[in-house]
Parts: sequence; structure tokens; C-alpha cells
Amino acid sequence: MDDQINTLQAQLAPGRGGKPGPAGVTLSLLTGFRLTQIAAWPETLAEAGALASAAAGCGAAPGPGRVEQGTGGMLLRAEPLKWWLLQRAGQTHAPVQGSRACAVLDLSSARTLVRVSGPQAGKLLNHFLPLDLRPSAFPAGCATSTAFHHVGVTLWRTNAGFTLALPSSFAASLRELLEGSALQYGLKTRETPFIPAEGELE
Amino acid sequence: MTARRLDRGGRIDRSKPLSFHWDGKALQGYAGDTLASALMANGERVLGRSFKYHRPRGIMSAGVEESGAIVTVGSGARAEPNVKATMQELFQGLEAQGQNAWPNVRFDAGAVNGLFGRFFSAGFYYKTFMGLPPFEWGQGTGLWMKYEALIRKAAGMGAASREADPDCYDHVHAYCDVLVVGAGPAGLRAALTAAEVGRDVILAEQDFELGGDLLNDPSAEPDRLALIEAVGRAGVRVMPRTTVFGLYDNGTAGMVERVADHLAEPAPYLPRQRFWTVRAGATVLAAGALERSIAFGGNDRPGVMTAAAGRAYLNRFGVLPGQRVVVATCNDSAYRTAGELAAAGAEVVLADARQRTSLDVPSGVRLRGGLAPLEAKGRSGVKSVQFARRTESGWQAAGSEYCDLLLVSGGWSPVVNLASHRGVKPEWNAELACFLGGDCAEPLFMAGAAAGIWDRGACEASGEAAAKRAMGIEAAGPAPGGWGAPIAPLYEVRLSGSKPKAFVDPQHDVTGEDVRLAHQEGFVSVEHLKRYTTLGMATDQGKMGNVVGLALMAEALGKEIPAVGTTRFRPPYTPVAIGALAGRNVHGHFKALRRTPLHDWNLRHGATMTDAGLWHRPWYFAKDGETIAEAYVREAATVRETLGICDVSSLGKIAVQGPDAAEFLNRVYTNGFAKLAVGKARYGIMLRDDGMVMDDGTTWRLAEDDFLMTTTTTGAGKVMVWLEELLQTRWPELRVHLTSVSDQWAGVSIAGPKSRKALAACLADPAAVSAQALPFMGVARTQLQDGTEALIARISFSGELAYELYVPAGHGEAMMNQLWGETSRLGGCLYGLEALGTLRIEKGHVTGAELDGRVTILDAGLGKMASAKKPYIGKVLQDRPELQRADRPQLAGIFPKDRSQTFNGGALLCRPDEGEGFGEGWVTAVTHSPALGHWIGLGYVAGGHEAWTGRTLMASDPVRGGPVEVEVVSPHMFDPEGERMHG
Repeated sequence: MDDQINTLQAQLAPGRGGKPGPAGVTLSLLTGFRLTQIAAWPETLAEAGALASAAAGCGAAPGPGRVEQGTGGMLLRAEPLKWWLLQRAGQTHAPVQGSRACAVLDLSSARTLVRVSGPQAGKLLNHFLPLDLRPSAFPAGCATSTAFHHVGVTLWRTNAGFTLALPSSFAASLRELLEGSALQYGLKTRETPFIPAEGELE
Repeated sequence: MTARRLDRGGRIDRSKPLSFHWDGKALQGYAGDTLASALMANGERVLGRSFKYHRPRGIMSAGVEESGAIVTVGSGARAEPNVKATMQELFQGLEAQGQNAWPNVRFDAGAVNGLFGRFFSAGFYYKTFMGLPPFEWGQGTGLWMKYEALIRKAAGMGAASREADPDCYDHVHAYCDVLVVGAGPAGLRAALTAAEVGRDVILAEQDFELGGDLLNDPSAEPDRLALIEAVGRAGVRVMPRTTVFGLYDNGTAGMVERVADHLAEPAPYLPRQRFWTVRAGATVLAAGALERSIAFGGNDRPGVMTAAAGRAYLNRFGVLPGQRVVVATCNDSAYRTAGELAAAGAEVVLADARQRTSLDVPSGVRLRGGLAPLEAKGRSGVKSVQFARRTESGWQAAGSEYCDLLLVSGGWSPVVNLASHRGVKPEWNAELACFLGGDCAEPLFMAGAAAGIWDRGACEASGEAAAKRAMGIEAAGPAPGGWGAPIAPLYEVRLSGSKPKAFVDPQHDVTGEDVRLAHQEGFVSVEHLKRYTTLGMATDQGKMGNVVGLALMAEALGKEIPAVGTTRFRPPYTPVAIGALAGRNVHGHFKALRRTPLHDWNLRHGATMTDAGLWHRPWYFAKDGETIAEAYVREAATVRETLGICDVSSLGKIAVQGPDAAEFLNRVYTNGFAKLAVGKARYGIMLRDDGMVMDDGTTWRLAEDDFLMTTTTTGAGKVMVWLEELLQTRWPELRVHLTSVSDQWAGVSIAGPKSRKALAACLADPAAVSAQALPFMGVARTQLQDGTEALIARISFSGELAYELYVPAGHGEAMMNQLWGETSRLGGCLYGLEALGTLRIEKGHVTGAELDGRVTILDAGLGKMASAKKPYIGKVLQDRPELQRADRPQLAGIFPKDRSQTFNGGALLCRPDEGEGFGEGWVTAVTHSPALGHWIGLGYVAGGHEAWTGRTLMASDPVRGGPVEVEVVSPHMFDPEGERMHG
């Protein structure tokens, strides 16, 4: 079940394009991840958060608008009552299975992860996202839901750069927009396996 | 005007000559030129024709206020009309041509309009609405329809290209602590002040060089360079070629950055322009001031321009704009211009409307005090200027001077436009004879000439003070002013009783007489004046003429200017290309496209796609030489005979999880879901509050607290929002989570008598889909042969033995490869939406075409699904008497009386003797049924099909074809007992 093929894999061919010189933006298609939604009930928020943080191997479940790196995965507060647990494909998350404190849902195929990194990454994202992405306003560890060409997307920032979780059916269309605008900054595209610990990719 | 390029001086780079074409003629300029300066240096005088009278026009300014040198740049798809030559940076290979003229701007046949000028006065166009006197007095406007086109053709500006814009444009959002508008001395100092203490600053400048008026002063160059270097060091984000065209709520600024408009061969990856939305904590407006002209006879002739423009062409572009120059002024600012022109070799007469001042007369300049320009003489260029002297009884002629250039300074208007966008009411400063920005409740601060400060040092000080205030620091800036002698307000010069063509708004050909005529006709409000005369409504938005127009209206009313008021400036400050507004949201990206996980697979297997909401779905899979009609009939027939597979991934899918999920669904759907067993699916209808059908679909119970709801493809978003609203506002006590999983699953429908066989061959456990293991409406979790986890539901939209198979989207193609291998081996086919439509129409199954928001569950023939034992959303209003009427349109099948005929979807169903009106019903869908061997349709007819048994109706479609006789039948036109589906 972990050898899924993302439709962007055929389209986001590794390469270099646009403005010559050092690439201002690198778009990396992240592969080989498992995305599990852990949804708590109002009265079980703490209990579910503990389960989620245990699964991710991080100290505490992140609050709204935050993402935490753990030894077992990355945990992101996607909604007030929902976390997203991102792990390498093949990893299990036994602590949350079967608990009545939360509802668990596999969304691994529902999202396509694109990392946007490089010196012009924030500027490129601001072509589409009306967000203050300056480091002072949106430092590493921040996460948010926003709209990209009227499509709801999730964005977070780690030391490795920004990561966009795109609804998979829109991913190809949004990729075309991203690439089209990124060429003016010098674009590098690649495919890379998902690694939850921050900074490992760069 | 006999302009010539000087051998030295100016900011142009004489080592970089640039070739360009004007009206087909090859010319040369230099890097650093604008199109206007290059044309001037080449001796081109007539560059445009006026809007209404087709009067020859030349360069009138050196900036955005230009009203004469308005040209078309580029050709073909890239032809851009109405470009101000003064703002167009010169580049190698630039092509420009005159506009609103035939055959060209030098010899324009349209100039005949000038002979009828007295008929084209203010409100001329509006008056034509009332009929052409005397022929149509009291008869209405019959002729107007004929001559309206002539009027439109005779007047106007450049024509836009009819071809699609080949360039791309970007939208960009940005944030900063302080936005500084304008990079003159005040703006540069403001940006530096804020950045030096760590503020994040954006400095936007519409010019391609920073410095503002410093660019026109060679002696200021060291200071300019030092300021720019300091600004760079301080980390200011400097944006040249960027116009802030509007200010909006909460510190939002709209800006256009011209990225490639100045490049001969832009790199293909560059957008032409970027449209910026900047959100700033505070804004400093240091946009400078614009010099005004004066209304006098012939003030629009080529060779008449503002004094500041003359200085700019001399000092910035190295062009001596005239040999014999008259500088007419009413204030101090033109003295420096006169002196610099004289020093450059021109013969200069300075006519100061003030009788005497204490100012030193520049060396080489002949001063004529107390004189103002009365009329500029000449045809296609000024040859002399006649003066007038102010007396107690008015103006009197006072001699003339020969000249080839007349520079005029009627005072300065600070650029308060952007502040006006925020509702700041300009306040009249009588001492300076100009409007200044008034009080503003927002963090918006004026600086420099935009604040009425004329002295350079004071401008910098005001920039510093404005920046401090923008940072919340108390700071007092210098007071407005800075001239040695007071200005003598001067707006119009004319002899009593004369009616010269003295232009107030040259771009729209509005004269002083037009203003007075509007007053005589009762348009005394400045807002009415604007609309009646179109004063200030041209592309310059009144930058040149608004103050003069106001002054003339005030004089006509016998009031002071402040009592007349001023019109409010609105965005954009300068025109914005439509392409910049559209950005990249054009063509295929007008809306984001949704692709199913099988999109590429479908294309590789010959699918022709069609739009279904935001999705692209397979429409049909034509074999070589097949038409769409042949393809879909073949596909539908194959499904009935053997099997077919169809990508249904686009169906909306919502995970409904939680201990109260069953109760939630039971309230949402009209039929019962509380007791739906795990491993079972049920078709459900949900209503709106008003009792109308909202959407339908099957919902699968995967576990006690876990359901998978499917919706229509196009209704998914609406349903998701609706369900969330219900949970959050009406039933917050229910413990239910909703998550869209539309993108999680790749789904395929396998339909036809051999569907079970094909599916079983793909499964790790073929018995999982046996009739016993998976009966009709059963749901199973299983695995494909390769171990992929899958969900299977035995449900049918086609009326055949059918299954829906879902696997995680990332395994979609692998699933299809397995399934297609088995399907093709059994003689099956791929089928698309068209065949799917045929199959469901044969069965009388409804889709969005039938569930159009006007239909009740009874109308759709699904009344049995409305539970009488439980409440559900829409139940109360569904029971309204009006919705229970037996004669409401109800779902029915439709056959053509003559089975060889067809009819159109959308046709009205009328009685044979009533071909007009609303009819008895309508047709929602039509197809050729291979199972029945003729065309069939679905639709709604009053009272349902039983009311029309044995009777004939007409499918009336007057737009697309004649009426067709039809008969109304049961909507269940094929296998009404469902034997095939349950088989």
C-alpha cells in the first residue's frame, strides 16, 4: 500500500529551467509518505493530542497554526480538532488506532506534497498566497490553511523550506501555475522522498 | 519648436544608441531616453491628434500627466494603444505610431472636425440623444442610431489589438512595515529613515530611475547617488518602474510593476508586468507635484509644454527643446528653468504674470513682467505668442514674441490622488494656490512636494518626519511652501468677449468655454460639471486640468475655489492593463482544473475529455474513424451486452466519522440510515431546507462509526459545506467529523453482465464478489491481486449488474491496468460520460440535469424514499400544499412519436395546439438508446407520465428546430423491474 504513484511524478520531471544562474526556487515533489488524520472530540482533545504526539515522537501535540517535528513523524494542527500525522510510508501509528478518543483517517493519496525552497521561495508562494510569509511573521514551525487559486491548501514551514499540501486532483493544475511563475527566479525541480526531520533535505 | 540633441549633458548614455521606428520611420535615440525625448531630439513635433477636434498635439509634459504625446506602441498582438510617450522607456527596436488619425497624425483627415468645433461643445454627445435638430425636434432619437457609430468613429483614442494578449502577467502579494510611494528626495529620505531603524520598507517609483526631481538637476547628482546607496545599504526593497495605482482598506496598495515593457527581447520566462497587492503597516506618500498649465488660446499647440518638462528634457535627456523660448509663469519655479535654458544656448524671454518680484533674473534671460500668454500662434507648431496684461477691467493684449517653444507654469498641484482614494478630502491652500491632502485617520502621511513643499532640503526633512510618524514617533515636518515670492494665481487668460480654443483638459478637448457653457446650462455642481463636460475623465484623470476647471467654475459661480469643492480621485492613478488584472488566471487556468487519478491513463487509452464542473472526465473513447455518436452508442451497447468500465473518481466522497455519524445521516437524508448495516450501501436523497432536492448519492457503512458518503461530481463542494454548516450551527452536540476524501480514492464503475467475472479476476479473493458474498447494495473491503486494499460496492447507475471499485488514488493506474486487461479479454470496453448518460436515461435515473433546484422528491419520482417515520432536513417545507399538487411537473420518459425522429434537450413540451407559452413540461436529457433502438428522453411533464398516456405532446424548440411529436412514457424505459441489476 505504500508504493503509490503520484500523478505529479510524471509531470514534475527533475530538471532546471528559466532564469540562468543559481536556482531561486526548488520545487521538490515529496514521495513515500503516509498522511493520517487524527480527529479529536472536544472533550478528548488532550487525550487525542497525547496519542498523536506519541505517534509522531514529539514532546507535545502542536497547537493551532503550528507544526512539530518528532522522531517518528511530523505532526501538524490542521484544524482546531484535527492533526495531520506525516510519516514515511511504511511506518505504523499504532498508538492512535482503535482509540475512542479520536477518529483516524488515511489521507495519503488525498494530498500531494510539494516542497518550495530556495531564496525566492516565499516570494514565489506570494504570487498565489495572500499571506505574510516573512520569517518574522511565518517562521519555521508555522502552519496554516489558505487558498491557492481558490483551492484550499495547507502550508507549513520548516528549516528545509515551505511545504504545500495540495489536494491531489488539483496538484497538476497548481503545479503548472507554480512552475510558470518560478521560471523568472530560476527553477529547479526534483523528486525526493519525504523525511520528517527538518533540515535533512537541504 | 526646433529641438536638438545636445552634444553633452543629460543622463542619456550616448555610447548606447538605440534604433526605433516612429510611424514607420527609422530614428535613433539613446539608452536613458523616453520615447518622447527621443522623438523630440529627432525633431518630431506632431505626435498625436486630439480626442474630439483632431487638433495636432505634441509633447506637453515629461510625465504621467501627458495629454498630447499619446501613441500606440508595438504592433500586432502586442499593439498597446494610449501609451504616454513621456513614460515609455526607449528600447532597441521599439515601434510606435500615431493614433486617432488618418492617414497619419501629421496630415489627419479628421481635422475637419475642427471646422465644426462650435457644434461639438460640452454635452454634445448627450444632446444627440435628444434627436438631431431641427429634423427630429419633438420626435425622439431615430437618427441617433445611425449617426452614433459615426460619432464614435470620429472621436476617440487608439484601438486595442483584436488578437489575444500573448504575454503573461503575474500577481504578487507583499507585506511591509512602511510603503513609500515615490523616490524623489522626500521618498528616498523617508525610506532611509524607516529602514535605518530596522523597519521593512518598500519604495515604489514609477520612473525607471530613482531621484524624482533630482534627476533634472545635474548639481544634485552626488547627493542622489549617496541617498540611493544608503537606501540600498539599509535594506529597502526598491521597486522602480512600479506605479502605485490605488490605495485601499487597511493599508493595502495596488501596484503595477512593468517588468518587460522596456526590454527589446524579454526573456521568455519573464512576465510582462507584475500586479502587486501590498499590505503596509503605514504609507508615506511622496509622489511629488505636477505643474499646471494655463487656459489661453492655442495652449495645446505643439511646442507648448510645461516649464518643468522643458527643464527635464534639457537636463535629464540632453535635448534643447527650443531655440527661441518664451517661459510664461506666475510663480518662482520657472526662473531656474529659464536660466538653465539660456545657459544651454537658447534665447529666452521670461514672462512673469506678476508685475514685479524680488527674484534675480537669471543670466541671459529677458524678463517681461506683468505679462501672461494670451494666445499661441502657429498651425502645427507654435511660432509666436501673444501676451496680455491684467487690468482692473480684465485682460488687454500686450504685444507678442516670436518663439518656437512656449513653456508654461500655472503653479503646481501636489499629487494627492492616492490620499483621495482613501477618502481624504483635499483642502485648498490659497497661499500656494493648490490642493493639499487633508486630515487622514489612517496611517497615511504626505511628504515632499506632495505635501506642498517646494524646497529640496525641506522635502527631505518632510520625508524624514513622515517616516517617523509612520513609525509612531512624534515628528513635525516643515510647513508647505518654499518660494521666495508668492504665486499669483493664474488659471485663464482671455480677452473679454473672445472665445478662443483655450483648453482646460486637453486630453478630452474640454475648453474654458465648455466649462462656462455647462454653468449656463445649470450644471453648477463640480460632480455634474465633470460628467457633463467629461473634464478630468480622460486617461490622465484630470491631472492637467482639474484645478483650472474648478477655478473657471468658481469664477462663473462667483465663488472661491474651496466653495466649489473638488471631485474625488479614484483608482487607478494611471491606467492598468486588463492582462495585469487577470494575471495567470487565463486560458486553461481561468479556473483550477481537477484531474482524476486516472486522467493520464484515460488519455493514453483514447479518451476525449469533457468538463464536469472543475473536473475533466472521459466523454467517450472513439475508435479510429468513429464519431462521438457512434462511439457512445457502441459503448452503451457493449455495457448491456458484456461489460464496460468507467472512471467515476470525480464523484464527491465524504468521510463521515464518529459515534453519531448514523444519527447525523439519518437527519440529513430523507430515507432511514440509522439502521443501515455495516457492509451495506444505501441510495439517499438530501433536501434543502425549502424541501427541494439538493443532491443524491450512495452512502456506504464501513464500520459502526465510519461511513463513506458519495455525492454528485458537481455537488460535492456544496454538500460538504452544507453538512459542515448543519454540524456547526444546528447540531453541535453530534460527535461527527466530516472530511472530504474525494481525492483519496480512485474509483471505477464496472457494469455489464460480465462485470462480476472481470472484477473477480482482479481480486486476491475472487469469491469476495460472488452473489452470496456481495449482494445488491453490499459493500466489501478486499484486496486486489497485487495486495492493494480496495473498497467494492455492488451498486448500479447503469441498470446492469455493476460494481464500484475504489482504491487509494496512488494505486489507480495499477488498478485500471488489471481491470482493463480482464475487461478487454472479455470483450468489454471503456466508456465515458456520454454512454453513462445513455445508460442512466434508459433507466430513468436522475442527475444534475433533473435535480436542478426546482424539483421535489415527489417530482423526481422518488417519493417512496421520503420517510414518514422520522424528521429530516426539508421535510416540513416539502409538505407545503403547493409542493404536493398532483399537477406539478414530474419525471417522465419521452419517445418520439415517429421513432426515426429525434428532439432536443431543453425543448418545451407543449400541447399540439399550444405552441407558445411555458408548455406542460420540458426535456432535460436526450440520447439514442441502443437498447430500444431509437431516440429517447427524460423530462418533466405536468402530472407525470400517467396523466399523458395515449396523448401526444410537441417537443417545441423554436430556436434550434421545428416541433416534434412525442409521447410520454414511464421514466423507467429499460428493464423497469431491475432484473438485470439484481441478476
